[in-house]
Amino acid sequence: MFGPETAPATALPHPRRAAAGDSFLFALARAVLLLALVSAAVFTATELLPGDAADLRASAGADEEQIRHLRQELGLDTEPWRRYLDWVSALLTGDLGTSLVNGRPVADTLAQRLPATLALVAGALAFAAPASLALAWWAGTTRRGRRISTAVLTGGAAVPMAVTAAALAALFSGALGLVPPVSLLPPGASPWHHPDLLFLPVLSMALPTAFFGASLLAGAVADTVRLPHVADARRRGVPSWQIALVDVLPFLLAPFVRVTAVVAGGLIAAAAVVETLFGYPGVGSLLVSAISSRDLPVVQATAVLAAAVVLAGLLLGDLVAALTEPARGRTA
Amino acid sequence: MRRRSLLAGAFAVLLAATACGGAEGEQASADGTTLRYAAVGAPAATTHDPHGRVGNESDYLRFAMLYDVLTVTDDNGAVQPRLAESWEPDGDDLTRWTVSLRDDAVFSDGDPVTADDVLFSLERIQGKGAENNGRLSAFDLEASSVTGENTVELVTHQPYAEVGGALASLTFVVPEGSDDITEPVIGSGPFQLEEYDDTTAVLNRHDGWWGDAPGYDTLRISALPDPGARADAVASGQADIAGSVAPASAQQHEEDDSVQVVTRPGGVNYPLVMDLGTEPFDDPGVREAVKLALDREQLVETVFLGYGEPGADLLNPQEPFAPQAEPIERDLDRARELLEEAGHGDGVELTLHATNSYPGMEETATLAAEQLSEAGIDVSIEVGPPDTYWAQVWNVEPFYLNSLGGNGFVDFGRMALLADGPINETSWEDPDWDADFTEALATADEDERHALLADLQQRVADDGGYVVWGTGDGIDLAAPGVSGLPTGPGFHRLFIEQVEAAG
Repeated sequence: MFGPETAPATALPHPRRAAAGDSFLFALARAVLLLALVSAAVFTATELLPGDAADLRASAGADEEQIRHLRQELGLDTEPWRRYLDWVSALLTGDLGTSLVNGRPVADTLAQRLPATLALVAGALAFAAPASLALAWWAGTTRRGRRISTAVLTGGAAVPMAVTAAALAALFSGALGLVPPVSLLPPGASPWHHPDLLFLPVLSMALPTAFFGASLLAGAVADTVRLPHVADARRRGVPSWQIALVDVLPFLLAPFVRVTAVVAGGLIAAAAVVETLFGYPGVGSLLVSAISSRDLPVVQATAVLAAAVVLAGLLLGDLVAALTEPARGRTA
Repeated sequence: MRRRSLLAGAFAVLLAATACGGAEGEQASADGTTLRYAAVGAPAATTHDPHGRVGNESDYLRFAMLYDVLTVTDDNGAVQPRLAESWEPDGDDLTRWTVSLRDDAVFSDGDPVTADDVLFSLERIQGKGAENNGRLSAFDLEASSVTGENTVELVTHQPYAEVGGALASLTFVVPEGSDDITEPVIGSGPFQLEEYDDTTAVLNRHDGWWGDAPGYDTLRISALPDPGARADAVASGQADIAGSVAPASAQQHEEDDSVQVVTRPGGVNYPLVMDLGTEPFDDPGVREAVKLALDREQLVETVFLGYGEPGADLLNPQEPFAPQAEPIERDLDRARELLEEAGHGDGVELTLHATNSYPGMEETATLAAEQLSEAGIDVSIEVGPPDTYWAQVWNVEPFYLNSLGGNGFVDFGRMALLADGPINETSWEDPDWDADFTEALATADEDERHALLADLQQRVADDGGYVVWGTGDGIDLAAPGVSGLPTGPGFHRLFIEQVEAAG
């Protein structure tokens, strides 16, 4: 025994709390700017899709005059920049507009579906975040067979979600009969009361995400375990669980939060695939069908909402990093 | 090593925990008096307006159960009364019709359904003609009027003997004054709306409905865009009926005692469409060569997996007045001969456009191209995205695949075959045919009229631009105890109030 185990010979550096406030403000400004850019990009992208809601709503055989009338009715007859400004200014007052397809407020539709998708994303994160850390730990601490571990992580991340979903459904629903293959949620029901309906979509999203997150984190794990104070603790014979908890994990917290924010963004995109496959009534399947009906207000609101969630996550990552990351020349 | 097994253990615990929760929740859905229907539908297209653009079958199904319609077609495609008890011409010229309504129909709030409500609804449907294919364009509603508490006089633009058919299935009646239907309004149909969101609607029996009481108390309609998900929902007991599944799903469950396969003959067809105004289709010989070069049996086997019938190029072979015609036999020699006569002895090159809007469309194009090449018709295939296909290819390109299903021949003729029809995609312009069509509709005697219509349909089959190589069955899956699912053509499938629920 060389002294108390809780006080490593190499002192842990202290986080630079003084700078945290400034860099957080900067990150906040950056997030707002990014959100503005995203909103413009989403608007432009939806404008560039061929045809508009009037074209798609008009039935076969409607003549030019009727379509023009319909376009006027839907407010699609003004210049794009004017519609963009109208949309943004409405957005700033919290007005998400009304659907071009059924005339109902977009906010109502989103509010109705958001809890369902949040349940999916939260469930998938609850599984994927610890799993990615564990996988990264395995890959980052494996000395021999490094190439194999890398291949496993990238390979796992590269399996298309639709394939994962089909395989999981075949296993858990088909072969084992544990959960229903389709996630029909009764109207107004809380997804939390139907864990059986969440199981397949959550796992389909979580598995590839865990591998993807792990491949992003593995490098940080490998770097950290090679830090001098870890080697030192090892030499002193500190039990490995204690090294992991005390000497390594604190250094992984910031990258872990950032990776989690990034994969959370990916999960919202993944929800679009998985919700459609399982017939689960969330924001993702709404976005998919809104794009095909050119329901611009719904597409824009959903996409900006997703972007806002990702940016908020990254912002949180920055905040955690600012508060915890050891002073290793970190910049904002 | 130890770390690794710990990790595996953690995975297993998480999986088991979630899976256990699953097994419990599964039991909750079985209820003898609830019919659960998984219908085709996508959330963002969900609408409450039965008269505008309806993009989802799930919406049509809900409307058919919430609102009375004037007439319906039966299993054989014949028109039957529903809210309208009768429709009789006033005088001989078939342009003025008295439609008598039942006097015992009430909305779910107890108010009677009056002729005012009916005329208002018809006018509203016509006002939204741009969104609903001009559903009621045969009628001059400005000249039409309410003639009594329960009678309306409808005026048609031309003599129109098939008024009963023109009022079938989609004439949803709403209360007079329902101008904006962004939110649901009350109806007078067999069910009333209990709760809904944009994927699911729960309907309860409307006890004041005039008809025979439905065989179940509650109808739950779930909108599911993915055909596989709909089939799975029935196979796993989460739904009692899955509407419009793919032939592969039907085949998969053919031997399965826990799932019934219900077929609706003539549910779909994917005709090759040739534009008569474009070379080389302006030559009747080329058109006939295309029709003779296809192996229709093989197409039906491959595309519909045998759930269908080879076709004789009839646009609607299911109707009571369709001509009796044998499917066209393949004749490659004759096809080559015709091509040579048309000056294409060295072969002819064509581009066939297709999309994957519906299961089997792309396969149709691929196989048809192969078959045509054996007759010396060199076809390259262009597959377009479903989003833009109906705007950029349909009614634009000279050679493409369309999807028709259950369209009544008279309605289809009015839209797509009259020289000035709004969607005359094949440039079928034949003054004699137009005159005979008008004459058929002005013929009061039903047998005589049906004979004329049969002849008109046959003439399009012989000389027109539609290659209806076969019709596929509409396929629904149902739980074992379910009976009485409609099997007729067209929108008949929506009227499910007399279905007996399982349990």
